Amino acid sequence: MYNIIADEKDKGGMRVITLDKKDLIEAMTEFKSQGYYLSSITGVDMKDHLEVIYHLHNFDKNEYLGVKVLTYDSKVPSLVGLWKAADWDEREQYDLMGIIFEGHENLRRILLPDEWVGHPLRKDYDLKKVQYVSMDSEGNEHVSFDEREGW
Amino acid sequence: MNLLIRIHDWFSFLGPGVSYGIAYLLETIFILIFVGISFMALIYVFRKYMARIQLRIGPNRVGKYGLLQVVADAFKLIGKESILPANRDDLAYRLAPLIIMMTTMVSFVIIPYGSLAYFGSLTITHSDVTLVLLFGVLSLLPIGEILAGISTKSNYALLGALRGVAKDVSFEVPMLISALAIIMISSRSFITGAQTYNSLSLAGIVENQVIPYGIIDPLGLLIFYISMVARASFTPFDLAESDSELITGYTTEYSGMRFGLFYIGLFGMVYLGSFFVSILYLGAYNGPASSDLGFIYLFIKTIILVLIAFLAWVSLPRIRVDKFVNLGWKYLLPISIINLVYAGLFVLYIR
Amino acid sequence: MSRYTVLNLGPVHPSIHGILRFRVKLNEEIIEDVDITIGFLHRNAEKICELNIYANNIIYFDRMDYLDAMNMELGYVTAVEKLTGIEAPERAQWIRMIMAELNRLAARLVGLGAFGLDMGMLTPFFHCFAEREKIQKIFVEASGGRQEVNYISIGGVYQDFNEKIINDIREFSKNFKKRLEDIYNMFIHSEIFWQRNDGIGILEPDVALDYGVTGPLLRGSGIAYDVRKDAPYLFYDKVNFDVPISHRKDNIGRFVLKIEEMRQSIRIIDQCLDKIPDGPYFNNKAKKSLMLRVKGDGEVFSRVESDNGEFGVYVRGDNTVKPYRVHVRSPAFKNISVVPVMARGLMIADLIVIIGSIDTVIGEIDR
Repeated sequence: MYNIIADEKDKGGMRVITLDKKDLIEAMTEFKSQGYYLSSITGVDMKDHLEVIYHLHNFDKNEYLGVKVLTYDSKVPSLVGLWKAADWDEREQYDLMGIIFEGHENLRRILLPDEWVGHPLRKDYDLKKVQYVSMDSEGNEHVSFDEREGW
Repeated sequence: MNLLIRIHDWFSFLGPGVSYGIAYLLETIFILIFVGISFMALIYVFRKYMARIQLRIGPNRVGKYGLLQVVADAFKLIGKESILPANRDDLAYRLAPLIIMMTTMVSFVIIPYGSLAYFGSLTITHSDVTLVLLFGVLSLLPIGEILAGISTKSNYALLGALRGVAKDVSFEVPMLISALAIIMISSRSFITGAQTYNSLSLAGIVENQVIPYGIIDPLGLLIFYISMVARASFTPFDLAESDSELITGYTTEYSGMRFGLFYIGLFGMVYLGSFFVSILYLGAYNGPASSDLGFIYLFIKTIILVLIAFLAWVSLPRIRVDKFVNLGWKYLLPISIINLVYAGLFVLYIR
Repeated sequence: MSRYTVLNLGPVHPSIHGILRFRVKLNEEIIEDVDITIGFLHRNAEKICELNIYANNIIYFDRMDYLDAMNMELGYVTAVEKLTGIEAPERAQWIRMIMAELNRLAARLVGLGAFGLDMGMLTPFFHCFAEREKIQKIFVEASGGRQEVNYISIGGVYQDFNEKIINDIREFSKNFKKRLEDIYNMFIHSEIFWQRNDGIGILEPDVALDYGVTGPLLRGSGIAYDVRKDAPYLFYDKVNFDVPISHRKDNIGRFVLKIEEMRQSIRIIDQCLDKIPDGPYFNNKAKKSLMLRVKGDGEVFSRVESDNGEFGVYVRGDNTVKPYRVHVRSPAFKNISVVPVMARGLMIADLIVIIGSIDTVIGEIDR
């Protein structure tokens, strides 16, 4: 049985519950059996920790549910086993926010090139450091800090 | 008087061999220039016609009413840099557009054009087997397509070439069989029932064609026309260069005038095909006062057929490749064989 | 030599609607697998939004689904309004509804035209764009922009509707009903159209739900989910419209469904034009309190029905003038991820038609 740390009934028009990281899979499995589907995954950088917010949607009850998980080591268990939608969403959050989803088999960058340095949505990401992208004849993208190597 | 004889007479002081050579050359050039100009006019008409259907205006900038747009496009294509892919088989790459272009051009020389008031008969090739010759020349097309497809080692070009060859092979057979039906029908005279000996030449077929064979053999007309449009890669059948999936198929790696040659070659094919259909099925230059106006009759019939193909181009979606090959082998081929049997029965009994 | 050909569709390809890359593993012409690479148009709008004040972010939402800019703006603005407590006056909300529906029509028209183009059908494209041009003229009249309109702003709309705009819309809706039937007939009476689409791109409802697919793609699989009906925003609960569904699950079903939805959109616009009240078009309080410097606190997840499906915007404020975090739940991002499932075992020509029928916009996938 999982523990609900905080339960806000009406936050921005939906119920938002906060869970502990280790209870996540168990709770989500139960939500899935109740007919919830994954709609979106959001990561928020709170400077000392990361918040991962899962938005679940129940088509039968016409109800949205937010599930919030806090993580201090940027690691969260992956939900790919439950919903296929989690695949791309988790890759996106890994790419931009640097959340490592444990158990995701194909956790590559999805929007940025594979060699990109840093995770742009982190608050400590240095926007002044420009990275230049190029592509070789095989179609692989390369990233460099040197202006001359980029396109 | 025949145009050929006329030119021969002008140059007769050079001796018969030389003057006939010059006469053939000049007449060929004359016909090709005429075909080229009418072809450009046809492209202009096509673009205006297409624009009209699509709520657009069409070419209207270059020259009066945009009449010179085609010329401007030709100059643009010639002036463009021809980008050569690094990873190519040079000879095949350069040869392919020429083969496609030459096939179409040579085919135009074989066609009998009938006669026109002052010029007399415009036919260049006087032979008893022009029909066979034309089919022979047309069978060069897939060679050009294959060369274009494999010379650049691009997957798009390769797939396009495979489709192009599948198209040519699967539509050449029904085309040949329906032409065979025409040869059979044409092998006996309508009026006397006596055997005729010129049914392998296009001019002979026209000569025997007292009533258009399209009326006697409508099924054959349909099969032949569909196959011809398909071989010319017009829209319901333009799989070989289907721009939405294979970019432009085997012409993907071509640019500038080399691409232009492909374009002219294939666009010319539908023009040629319409000539071919109107000769075999619609009585070509037969009609009242055909010794003066014969060519006009042929031209009008051809233009009508081309416009029908254009209408299909603008209004139909592209057929899928498996359905397309099925159409050739599973529908047109059996129907054309039935048509052949019908032609045989017609010659034996009904006539 | 392997039995497979790997065909690289994209990043620049005539029929992949934008810059998107499909690596298709082909066995002759049969698709074995599709590998999708996205991100060529990635601008990280979410990060840019964190650097700007609330009102300045609207233009970045215009450029997400650039064909359906009004609904994108609407998604963001409703989220910010929920967050900051600013309410738009009643007239502004009706105007927003009209504009959202008009833009949905415009986006659908582009989608239909491109769908035809993907099948090699050139003519409907121009007919669709001629109609879209009329919608864009209305947008120019109201906002000054054709495509990236920047019309809906926090606390109202940029400019009030005058008599001329309302008359234009009335006239448009009157003519459009007939033109829509023309466009529909251009497709549906073509035998080759049926051959190309019948039974192609089958998407089972449970797969669709599993992948988080929404919009016409989900309704085409037989699940009646439309944010406008199930979680009404603006005044969608005060107008009558139906949510059509299709049980065919294939391209034909989705096509007919989209046409039916366009009819419903016209129906909504007609009702809105009758019901639109007089009054202010902008929240004066918001304007006075320097609307540009509004502060937000807390977190909000708001969703609207865009052209491609459920468009959700997560906004979090930390009581400053800039948002702390903006996240977009992009429907096209989910919809495109289901392409390999739909295309497996079909031919390369079918893949193109499936992409055309999903009708994605790359700006929204990559953000």
